[in-house]
Amino acid sequence: MSSNDPLKLIEQYLDRVRVYLPLDSEDAIVELQTHLIEESERIGEGTMTAGSAMMAIERMGEPKSVANEYAGSGKKVGPVPAEYVNPVIRIIVVIVGIAAAFVIGASMLGVTLTQLLGTDIQNWPVSILIIIFLNIFIIIAIIGIISMFDREKPLTDKTTLETIFGLGVEGFKPKGRLDALGDLIMGIFWGILLMLPGMVVLYTTEFVNVYLLVVIFLFMGAIRGALFFVGGENNFNLAIEGILGIVWIAFAIVLFNIGWPLEDVYVYADGSWQIFPIIDFFQTPEILLSPLDWIWAVIMFVTVVVSVWRIIVSTMKITMYLRAGKAIWWQGNWGERRSLRTPLWKRILGEHDQFQKKEAEYYDGNTESEESQ
Amino acid sequence: MSMTKKTQDELDRWSKEVKRGAVTLAILSLLSKKRAYGYEVVKLLDAKMKFLALEQGTVYPLLRRLEKRELLKSEWDYEDPAKAKKYYTVTQEGLKALGAMTQTWSVLSREMREVVNEVE
Repeated sequence: MSSNDPLKLIEQYLDRVRVYLPLDSEDAIVELQTHLIEESERIGEGTMTAGSAMMAIERMGEPKSVANEYAGSGKKVGPVPAEYVNPVIRIIVVIVGIAAAFVIGASMLGVTLTQLLGTDIQNWPVSILIIIFLNIFIIIAIIGIISMFDREKPLTDKTTLETIFGLGVEGFKPKGRLDALGDLIMGIFWGILLMLPGMVVLYTTEFVNVYLLVVIFLFMGAIRGALFFVGGENNFNLAIEGILGIVWIAFAIVLFNIGWPLEDVYVYADGSWQIFPIIDFFQTPEILLSPLDWIWAVIMFVTVVVSVWRIIVSTMKITMYLRAGKAIWWQGNWGERRSLRTPLWKRILGEHDQFQKKEAEYYDGNTESEESQ
Repeated sequence: MSMTKKTQDELDRWSKEVKRGAVTLAILSLLSKKRAYGYEVVKLLDAKMKFLALEQGTVYPLLRRLEKRELLKSEWDYEDPAKAKKYYTVTQEGLKALGAMTQTWSVLSREMREVVNEVE
């Protein structure tokens, strides 16, 4: 839905442009943002209003065309029109990446593809091709029908197709600075926790032999968090992330075979903490596979899926940055998008952004909301 | 004399081709005199060269292409964080290209004037 806030309108429009641009195009977005703000101020004779922002946006043109000019793709790849090349490639990579991550995670658990799909594949490989073509046809038909309803939308509103393509943009967003801080704190916290003598007594004999490796891995994860917190996304940090992903997958295979790591757990009973033998509790002849093994398998599966995804994204981004002529280390970006508007906490404290101040300087008595009505 | 649709189409096509060549020279000339950021370049072109009247979205990609071809270099100015400005200047290579283009343009425009005058 369209907003009356000119900065929000500009952000929404740039979000649409972003969908069609290659991953490393944040500079282009910033340049366009400055243009739209200055043009809106010029049209509004010093004041940026929703109306002046919309006029500036309309003068800039269709997001697809603007992005296509910028990206300079200007060529078709198979049946895909030039402007859709970037988003289509990105969403395909996301889908293939997620599928690869799940297949690798599932094969680690010993689940075959046919079990995963719920049936044996008949008439291989023709049936696969027919299924793929049928699905593509159905997807195109559905998107075509939905897109018909998007024709009347203003330039600042994402179309349905762009919302789908937007998932590709989100999938490759750099790690947020708070996430990096979380990695740092949680890595140290869990590393120390696993080393406490009170915890070590709970481990199974097999896990006791390897728990220090897990601790080292957690501390390395904390170092990775610190590196991202300080340097943002750059080739060095991405390489560390990729390497840690590979190490974890190798390690997860060992951990998966070791099985559930806790022989006992602490329980609070009769006014004190006591050790409870959890593995013995679940070891009854009626249960073929203990729920603890299932829980452990799921935990390992999720961590492997995440690691595979990180390896794919790191490899892609390092290649992209090397192609752009970047070296190993530079001050990279974090995932949080720079908002043009004043954050809520600043507004509560009574701070306003420069545009609001500017409005107060130039305005002739009317308010923004009055004008936009 | 009013223009027919066919004449208008031909004029549009021809204008597009002329603009394509002229805009690089115009941008290099403007930026050789003083550095400017994208929006300034758009406004300068608007003010000084009505004929070029480029779509706003097309100036930026062109600046980027010229930068890639090392005819321009850029520098970010974050003094106003909400309106970060990418300033463009002409490189040594760009100045050499500009000199050669200007010479060619002078010869071309003189010769064109002569040819067109002969026809008239």
